[in-house]
Amino acid sequence: MKPLPREARDTLFLLAVIAAAVAPHAEHLPLWCSAITALVLLWRGVLAWRSAALPGRWTLLAALLLVLGLTLLTHHRLVGREPGLTMLVMLMALKTMELRARRDAFVVFFLGFFLVLTQFLYSQSLLTALWTLATVWGLLAALILAQMPVGQPHLRLAARHAARNTLWGLPVMVALYLLFPRIGPLWGVPSDATGRTGLSNQMEFGGVAELANDDSIALRLRFEPGVVLPPPWALYFRGPVLTLFDGRTWRARAAGDAFSQFSRRSASPPEVAGPRLRYELTLEPLRLPVVPLLEMSPEAPGSELQAGELSLRRGLDLQWQAPRPITERLRLQASAYLDYRIGPLQADLGLQPYLELPPSRNPRTLGWASELRRQPRFADLDASRLPVALADAVLAHVRSEEFIYTLAPGRYGETSPHLVDEFWFDRRLGFCEHFASAFVVVMRAMGVPARVVTGFQGADAELQDGYLVVRNSQAHAWAEYWVPGRGWLRADPTAAVAPERIRGGQPLRPPPGPLAGALGQVNPALWLQMRRAWETINNRWQQAVLGYSRSDQFDLLKRLGWSAPDWSALGQLSAGLIALIAAAGGLWASWQARPHDAWSRQRQWLMARLARLGIAAQAHQGLRQWAELLMARHGSAAAPLAELLLELERSRYAAAPAPALGLLARWRWQREFTRAAAPLRSRHLTRK
Amino acid sequence: MLSKPRQRFQAWWSLRHPPSDTHLMVQRNIYILPSRPGLFFCATLLVLLLASINEQLSLGYLLTFLLTGAGFVSMHVTHANLRGLSLDLRAPAPVFAGEEAGLQIRLHNPAAARYGIGLRAAEQRAEQRAWTDVPAQGHSQLQLRLAMPRRGLHALPTLRIETRFPFGLFGAWSVWRPACQVWVYPAPEQPCPPLPAGSGAADPQRAVQLAPLPGQDLDEVRGYRRGDSPRQILWKKAAQAGDGDAQLWVRDTRSPRGHELWLELGQTQGLAWEARLSRLCAWVLRADAQALPYGLRLGGQSLGPDAGPAHRQACLELLARAQERA
Repeated sequence: MKPLPREARDTLFLLAVIAAAVAPHAEHLPLWCSAITALVLLWRGVLAWRSAALPGRWTLLAALLLVLGLTLLTHHRLVGREPGLTMLVMLMALKTMELRARRDAFVVFFLGFFLVLTQFLYSQSLLTALWTLATVWGLLAALILAQMPVGQPHLRLAARHAARNTLWGLPVMVALYLLFPRIGPLWGVPSDATGRTGLSNQMEFGGVAELANDDSIALRLRFEPGVVLPPPWALYFRGPVLTLFDGRTWRARAAGDAFSQFSRRSASPPEVAGPRLRYELTLEPLRLPVVPLLEMSPEAPGSELQAGELSLRRGLDLQWQAPRPITERLRLQASAYLDYRIGPLQADLGLQPYLELPPSRNPRTLGWASELRRQPRFADLDASRLPVALADAVLAHVRSEEFIYTLAPGRYGETSPHLVDEFWFDRRLGFCEHFASAFVVVMRAMGVPARVVTGFQGADAELQDGYLVVRNSQAHAWAEYWVPGRGWLRADPTAAVAPERIRGGQPLRPPPGPLAGALGQVNPALWLQMRRAWETINNRWQQAVLGYSRSDQFDLLKRLGWSAPDWSALGQLSAGLIALIAAAGGLWASWQARPHDAWSRQRQWLMARLARLGIAAQAHQGLRQWAELLMARHGSAAAPLAELLLELERSRYAAAPAPALGLLARWRWQREFTRAAAPLRSRHLTRK
Repeated sequence: MLSKPRQRFQAWWSLRHPPSDTHLMVQRNIYILPSRPGLFFCATLLVLLLASINEQLSLGYLLTFLLTGAGFVSMHVTHANLRGLSLDLRAPAPVFAGEEAGLQIRLHNPAAARYGIGLRAAEQRAEQRAWTDVPAQGHSQLQLRLAMPRRGLHALPTLRIETRFPFGLFGAWSVWRPACQVWVYPAPEQPCPPLPAGSGAADPQRAVQLAPLPGQDLDEVRGYRRGDSPRQILWKKAAQAGDGDAQLWVRDTRSPRGHELWLELGQTQGLAWEARLSRLCAWVLRADAQALPYGLRLGGQSLGPDAGPAHRQACLELLARAQERA
């Protein structure tokens, strides 16, 4: 096969790099977009292969309009993350169709860098980073190829130059990464998590037909040394507490609702007992304004907790509220007690919102609840024992009836507005949020204040690199109901139907993908080991690199000797570094300017010395001529110096390699010369 | 008033770039600025940085700073791509007005390989740049074609050595004013008119007869003698003989012994000044081609009569320099 012409080869290479940059986006793009992109790139490849002409401007314009239309049809708008990404990918693909001038190539490169960045909105794992690195390398290599107009340079050559250039730039990258001030978002709020499982600020009952498990890590916990690790079933991380229910969606209470003043008046810190568990928590960016902490931290509602630059405030429902959705990795120190009691202990108006139910919804459930409440066994129980007995009865019902815990319960509320009825009586399929919701509705129907608490429950069985790992798939919803004199008690109806979910702290897993499945079948131990090793590496990567935050920046300054690091210290360090680099550059330039061989340097040194003795030695003259000049100028007093010069000349031009030209010998010779020149020098000075 | 600073700038500029036939590029005479794509690259970096800040993307920061580092290094690489390179040129052969002078430039590289070195005359457009790579510890050659529209002894134009390697984000260039000059002879008249009738001492009638007319063969053929011009050798005949040792035959133009051919301005009356020089030039070439001894009188100078390449060159240079008298 005859080799491709240069033009075709370069274009095919660029197309391959673009395909690599687009590929990770395929899962976030509409199907038509991926398909058109693949087609366009393929077509362009064929054109390059055949060295055929590119399509005209009108064809491209038509394609652009079509893409605009399709984008509008899919996303109903043109601005925003999803439509923006779609348009970016399409523009990139279409731009390859008009690679005419060099300017067009640059447009493709710069679009490529954007495309790479948008990938990070979805994932910042080590794998993504490596893929990105490869893509950027390819883009830079293509950029270099465009600057090599002669002949047919090998791809490897361009790639090598790109790599070398990037490697030399690494110190700059590291310095900037360490020193560039980390500030919060400049405007707006980072966009919300899209379509991921895990925690969210509201909960739609039965809105999800199938829960796609997201096995990525949500948070990591490291207990202080000496703390006895609590069992997985005791690990509840309190996230958003959901109180308001409209029959379909659960929402949190607004901070300033009508009853909040009563709640605030009766708010009291949790009464805690037992050992104090101190821990450090690293929270992945969940893009939630609530930080899930281990139940139960001892702080009172309204108190504050510092997490990096964010200050968290404890809400009335004892959740930890951040001022904005958290989009960076957060590290904080906190403590928890497993044995606790949370108030209020006496009934007040603040409990009212926990009793409200959507009007005229779920009549069958309400009927069932009042029937249960009327049972004679509850008749003569006092107020502090009645709610507990009722809750036990409801949980016993869940346990004894044929409720099924499944991650794919199907969608609720398609035929009737009574979603809880449908769950409680007809289908009885669901996961934690169905059970928790139904439980709370039933309790409220019986006059017991109750609320849904979401968060995480359980953790990986093994520590990973010393960290307890909690995954997004361990997101959980449970319930709390209020008992006079005892406060809020936790009830986990999911434990009644699927005790293994709670006891082991293990999420029920959906079937694994084909590759993982196959490997898991053949050698489950190896698969598990590989998985753990990979996650350990990823953890280190996230802790050390991605987790680098403002507090780490200040820690670095502290280690470098600033006692009270602040922004100006950061500026000083940067300025110092820049000065250092500039000085190094200057030194290097002067090093470059000086002669590179020892003999030339020796001659240069000699010429400077002779000039001090009043001898205008010229560069083109030999040592012998310099000796003659010396004798002519200073007479017999210069004889030893002249002899030294001649000796040097002899050793330089001797037939056998002279030992007198080594570094040490040179120094010795120079010292001798200086000594011999001293009397002449004083004479020269006095004569002047 | 404006011209004074400009003059001063010109003087400073010339002092900074003394004319020389070799050009060693060092820190002193290499200039570097970001190119237009370089500015766009900066804008791209800014947008990437803003996106990273606003979406709080650690990897975004890493990517931005990686590209920043690479861009920063590329500035030094672009500069180093020229630094240390030395150039020299061979004095260009004389040309006739309207032709292109071929400038042979050699680039010597004492260090690692250089790529994408472009060379052009300062007044040429960017697309006319000639590109070359210079291998490590080696040299390469470049041919630059310069249009020479006007006759005379011209200084070579200022040359610009440029590079944008590796990323094209920075353009580094150096300015070289070559010291050597190029002779541009007048454009010979086409087609060549017949040589003039003899003048001066010679009998005009005879001179005309001596000039070979089309279709009239006045030549004799004789054996090669040392000193014969290669132009006179009958190469066709030599090729037919095939054998290298065979006798070479030359065409012996009947030499106009005793009759001198003088070419003078006076013989070109009625033409414009440049056209007159063009005709004289054509005659010189013709006479030289026929190995006729000829003389040239122009502006009080007279050369010859003589023949041979040195004489031809002297005549053509005289023509190239000729000044019109008011």
